[in-house]
Amino acid sequence: MSTPALSLIDLTKRFGGLTSLDHFSLDVATSEVVSVIGPNGAGKTTLFNVITGVYKPEEGKVLLNGVDLTGMSPEKVAQRGIARTFQNVRLFLNLTVRENIKAAMYGRTKASLLESVLRTRRAKSEDKENEERVLDVLSFFGTRLQGYRLDQPAYSLSYANRRRLEIARAMATGAQVLLLDEPAAGMNPAETKEIAEIISRLRAERGYTIVVIEHDMHVVEGISDRVIALDHGVEIASGSFDQVATDPAVIEAYLGRGAAARK
Amino acid sequence: MSDDTQRDEAAQASSRGIGTDEWVAQHEQRIATSTGPLGAIGRWWLGLPRGFQWIIPLAIALLIPFATSNDYIIRIGVNLGLFLLLVIGLNLTVGYAGLLDLGFVAFYGFGAYMYAFVASPQFGIHWPTWLAIPMVIIVTGLFGLALGTPSRRLSGDYLAIATLFFGQMFLVLAVSSDAVQFPWMDEPIDVTGGANGITNVDPFAFFGFTFSSVTSYYFLLLGLIVVGVVATLRIHSSRQGLAWRAMGEDALAAQHMTIPPVRMKLLAFAVGAAVAGLAGSVFASVQLGVFPSTFKLPLLIMLYAALILGGMGSVPGLVVGAIIMVVLPEVLRFPDYSNWLFFIVLILGVVMTLKRWKPILAVFAATTAIGFAANGIFLALGVPYLTTAEWAEGPLAPVLGAWVFMPEDRTLYGNIAFVVLLFAIAWMTTRSHRTRLIALPFVLWLAVFTWEVRLLIEPSVTRQLLIGALLIILMATRPQGLFGKPRVEVL
Repeated sequence: MSTPALSLIDLTKRFGGLTSLDHFSLDVATSEVVSVIGPNGAGKTTLFNVITGVYKPEEGKVLLNGVDLTGMSPEKVAQRGIARTFQNVRLFLNLTVRENIKAAMYGRTKASLLESVLRTRRAKSEDKENEERVLDVLSFFGTRLQGYRLDQPAYSLSYANRRRLEIARAMATGAQVLLLDEPAAGMNPAETKEIAEIISRLRAERGYTIVVIEHDMHVVEGISDRVIALDHGVEIASGSFDQVATDPAVIEAYLGRGAAARK
Repeated sequence: MSDDTQRDEAAQASSRGIGTDEWVAQHEQRIATSTGPLGAIGRWWLGLPRGFQWIIPLAIALLIPFATSNDYIIRIGVNLGLFLLLVIGLNLTVGYAGLLDLGFVAFYGFGAYMYAFVASPQFGIHWPTWLAIPMVIIVTGLFGLALGTPSRRLSGDYLAIATLFFGQMFLVLAVSSDAVQFPWMDEPIDVTGGANGITNVDPFAFFGFTFSSVTSYYFLLLGLIVVGVVATLRIHSSRQGLAWRAMGEDALAAQHMTIPPVRMKLLAFAVGAAVAGLAGSVFASVQLGVFPSTFKLPLLIMLYAALILGGMGSVPGLVVGAIIMVVLPEVLRFPDYSNWLFFIVLILGVVMTLKRWKPILAVFAATTAIGFAANGIFLALGVPYLTTAEWAEGPLAPVLGAWVFMPEDRTLYGNIAFVVLLFAIAWMTTRSHRTRLIALPFVLWLAVFTWEVRLLIEPSVTRQLLIGALLIILMATRPQGLFGKPRVEVL
């Protein structure tokens, strides 16, 4: 078997007496879509925070294509190729759509401040490349973020467009692994369907490896190759959507012991 | 953008169906096509050929030394140049990277002292200028890097407190280092000259050309500012500029988008400090001396005021903000000029708030009428008064003399009017738009009356009062500054 794109080995993260992640392991193959589900406080977002370097795990390792990223700062992790979106959208609100995306390309460019001021050949060619990348990334979302919106500040976007822009921004970092934290939260059914399509296309057309935290089971069902259910920092079930959805341990975690028994 | 393409855009947007936020998209265009006299001026200015918005002010600045031989005016120009250079530096740290650096003036002072150390009789060292200036820039930049290290862990208010402390510490050290005892020396040595500072600093000299006149420094600073403005414009959308602005918006998100926070923060501190260091060396040589009192807190406050007034991150805003903060206090020294300024600001204020022609003209007509009515009332009451010839001066005299009633007891009536004016303004701000519009002519007349009767004859007090009032009004009506874009924090 080839090296998995993202490999989590025995990750443990404690906050004082609370163990948010308890010896959690997961291998995600290249171009695989894995959904992580679980009730509130199960440790899903902590998992993302540990992978991206916000928290340093007490135990365990994070490997990207076999390279150890454990303990690296978030910007290093992002530069190495893991980008994320946030549960509560965190765009650069007063920057334009174009600027939001170009800002995320910092790690892909090299011109020094002096070169930027003098507009040297390297600074110019990097800028030209970035402009092309902006259009390329945005073309993925159809006309939604193009045209006049390109130079509108991000705060003028609708909620759904902000979510889309956040995905576009993560793509712009040049990462090959995307961690999407509840991409469909707060969206209406039509928009939710579109987000599910976008995630499928991200994998099919661009070959991204994707880990999704999602509460909308229609989305989870539609996009996942594999579903992981998490509770109290421990994996309680994994497999196809149908396997996990009918697993008694999962039902118990969501609805309590009684509900599981009745089933 | 022409109307046609705009309409096409709109048509396209509505045909797309879902998620059309045209109204939002056209928000800025609506602002640009605002009606009334200010809209007309704005459109004319923006309609000038590309680049003219920069060439016109530059041409004016270049011509000033040829138009006047008044050394005083050129000296204000030099002060403005130094101030503007500092604001350009501060804008990088505060306006872009969002680091509230209250120790900024220390870098200015540090640069000035560094230059004085290597180019004055203080230590008997006289480096050539081409060597001294790069040294000052680099050393001050490194100093900024060192003082920037707390920003690794601090942000917001906490960083402000820490940097404020550094700024004050610099001042104390500068004043008290006139007798420093090094353990390996027998006698204490004078490093900074204490409160008296360092004098006889060498003027700049490049390859045989000595900057001996104030005018030569004026042109030097003009050149430096052109470089600074161009650099700022280029940094704005460069990768560093975007990284700084992104960090200022959301530091955590920026970090997750490959932007290294510590590196960028330190870079912002170092570059801001280096610019301030350069300004400091120019200051030391144009003054031919360095004095610690220059680097006190008021200068810092003035710099921040200029930055906020003009609008953070906006280059035209920096220039206009600096002009207001430096030139305005000078103009207000002279009653004649301040009289003009008062009426210009008053009229401009009314025009800016009412925006449309009709109410503007109505308010001015009503104000004029109230003035004459007040004259009649005062005469009927038999209040003793001064004739026009006894008080009015300058080109505005014939107009004002006929319109403003000047009581003999200026102090009494002026004080009463002043108190009533303050209460009237406070009352007005809590009323509805309609009531405010009706009350406005009365308040305007009261303001003019107070100004002419009481304030104009005491310029030293009036200066502060007028600048303060201007700042309050401006911040209340345009919190984003004159040229700043309105910012949204959470939406």
